[in-house]
Amino acid sequence: MISQHQEIEEKFWKIFNQQDSLKIEEFKKYMDKFAVNFNLYKDGNFIERSLPFDVIPRIMTKAEYDELNRGLSQRIKTLNLFLEDLYTEQKIIRDGIIPFEFVEQAKGYLKELQGFSPSKKLRTHINGIDLVKDSVTDKWIILEDNLRVPSGASYPLSIRDTFRKIYPEFFEQLSIAPIKEYPMMLKECLDYVNCGGVNVVLTPGRFNSAYYEHSYLAQMSGSHLVRNHELIVEDKKVYFKNYDGKPIRVGAIYRRLDDDFIDPEFFNPDSLIGVPGLMEAYLAGNVAILNAPGNGVADDKGIYYFVPQMIRYYLGEEPILDNAPTYLPYFEKDKEYIFENMHRLVIKDVAEAGGYGVLFGHKMSEEEISDLKNAISEDPRRFIAQELIEFYDEKCYMDGEIVERKADFRAYVVMAEEPKVWTCGLTRYAVEAGNYLVNSSQGGGFKDTWVIE
Amino acid sequence: MNQMNQILTANVASNLYWLGRYLERVEATLLEIDSVYDCIIDVNFDAGKKLYSNIGIELEYTSALTFMREAIVGDHSGNMKTLLDFARENAIISRSYIELEAFGSIIQLHDLFVQAAAGERVIDFMFMDEALSLISEVWGEITRRESRNVDDYFLMLGKYVEKVDFHLRLGKNKEYAIRFMDEIDRIVSILAPDATFVPHNAKEPSQVILDSINNKITKIIME
Repeated sequence: MISQHQEIEEKFWKIFNQQDSLKIEEFKKYMDKFAVNFNLYKDGNFIERSLPFDVIPRIMTKAEYDELNRGLSQRIKTLNLFLEDLYTEQKIIRDGIIPFEFVEQAKGYLKELQGFSPSKKLRTHINGIDLVKDSVTDKWIILEDNLRVPSGASYPLSIRDTFRKIYPEFFEQLSIAPIKEYPMMLKECLDYVNCGGVNVVLTPGRFNSAYYEHSYLAQMSGSHLVRNHELIVEDKKVYFKNYDGKPIRVGAIYRRLDDDFIDPEFFNPDSLIGVPGLMEAYLAGNVAILNAPGNGVADDKGIYYFVPQMIRYYLGEEPILDNAPTYLPYFEKDKEYIFENMHRLVIKDVAEAGGYGVLFGHKMSEEEISDLKNAISEDPRRFIAQELIEFYDEKCYMDGEIVERKADFRAYVVMAEEPKVWTCGLTRYAVEAGNYLVNSSQGGGFKDTWVIE
Repeated sequence: MNQMNQILTANVASNLYWLGRYLERVEATLLEIDSVYDCIIDVNFDAGKKLYSNIGIELEYTSALTFMREAIVGDHSGNMKTLLDFARENAIISRSYIELEAFGSIIQLHDLFVQAAAGERVIDFMFMDEALSLISEVWGEITRRESRNVDDYFLMLGKYVEKVDFHLRLGKNKEYAIRFMDEIDRIVSILAPDATFVPHNAKEPSQVILDSINNKITKIIME
């Protein structure tokens, strides 16, 4: 336990230890009642399942939050400037800060959108930044930027509601920052970029892993949940097909599907979940799409390497939050370092997400390391390597016992005129001891995060 | 209603409508089972068979309790766990328009029948009582809003249509069904202000009344 938290944690455990343990069962029942699901596809089968959760929250001091607030606001402002620059003037490329080759090869870079500025020049509307707290330096470290379709905000909202019902004592006795403003932040952002019409949340449908979240956020932000065939594009404008057949203009779309799938006429022609003509309406400035198509380039694990340099370039400031020490085999010097130290590094495939394509050097055999070296040599742009961060464990309540598990933290930053960092976030923990992969798609669970003064 | 709360996709409207129908069907059937159960005990052993033959199901049982179990989770088209599978699916698809507590009660109701179908729960009057209480909670939670939205009307439309349908299929008094037709027409006039109605009376065959309802629904929801 670290000193910064000590006083607050002591107060927390004092209240926790006074609680009737039967309340935990009540808590679980209450969560089941509302079907807080994160569905999975396994071996081709759809599995509807509750997302595992833990009743012990992550505790964050107000001072910690304040630092994250400053650091993440700085980062999101920068990434928005980077994307706007990249898709218009490309000054950062001309000034030699980022090699164009890097951008060009990034999977999420959409050259078809070159020259287009979206509504209010805003691209990074709803952002999920993954961090861990380094147990050696006691500092927050940024692991990943998610500027496409980051999910997960509805889960802490749901668990907080349950917490307040079952354990009001914590909220009476500790000064815990409220979190209910998140849907309003979302609405504010949708309204800010809205090009005239209603706000909708576009979902791939009932069988998407995060359908629960789509419907929850639509409901709480006062938007309408729609599937692709409920939207039509006419004369470069998007309309919502009402139950009575009347068209209703749509001004902003919070899409919960990847770029590739949003418009079969513009991107993947095989997409069955997109809206034909949507990009034409978007490029005519008649509808806002959140987050902006093409943001994937900034999510790229290779581009991540350059974010500290971007902050200096666009804002003339030093980064407040650090990246994990990262090496790009694209640079010869870094490649040599990676090859010499592979057994203790984490190697990531830049094209993968959700915890896939992450290889831990210390768990690999000599043969696997040799194969990986060959793969890196063949396509160095495809990989990055990072130092393994020994991040803090979080206490979890499992099978009647308090145990420790690796946990990361996804912070949500919603941007309208200015970025706002939510006073909560998604703390994800590995269900198995010693596992570093905490992603929901890897079977990880979640817990609430309390910012306490 | 202002324009904002009149917005709803045809898919959601349809799912809310069917949610209303399934919930009402389960509730109405449970009430019938309750009344027939009492009769089977010592008045008319075949009362359950007669009830189910009205809806085209041949039910076999050896006692009042086995009647209850067969009626609720037996292998036939009126199996209530199956009806609630559909209701749950309707609720999940339209959950962003349903009161949170009502949604939670639907999930609980479904779980109750899943347990019953799996033999993890005894089907007796306590079970019936719990199921009916949960359904009442759902209706109560839905009507708790201060003002009515278009989504509420679709749900209530489903409920009233099922009331008429169920009542007529059991060959009961048509006057009761006609009273609900008035309520259906009132809702239809809110959802489709240009709609015109042909008044019905108890002398008309049941099928004419049911066809009239179905025509109204297809005019309201434009898929």
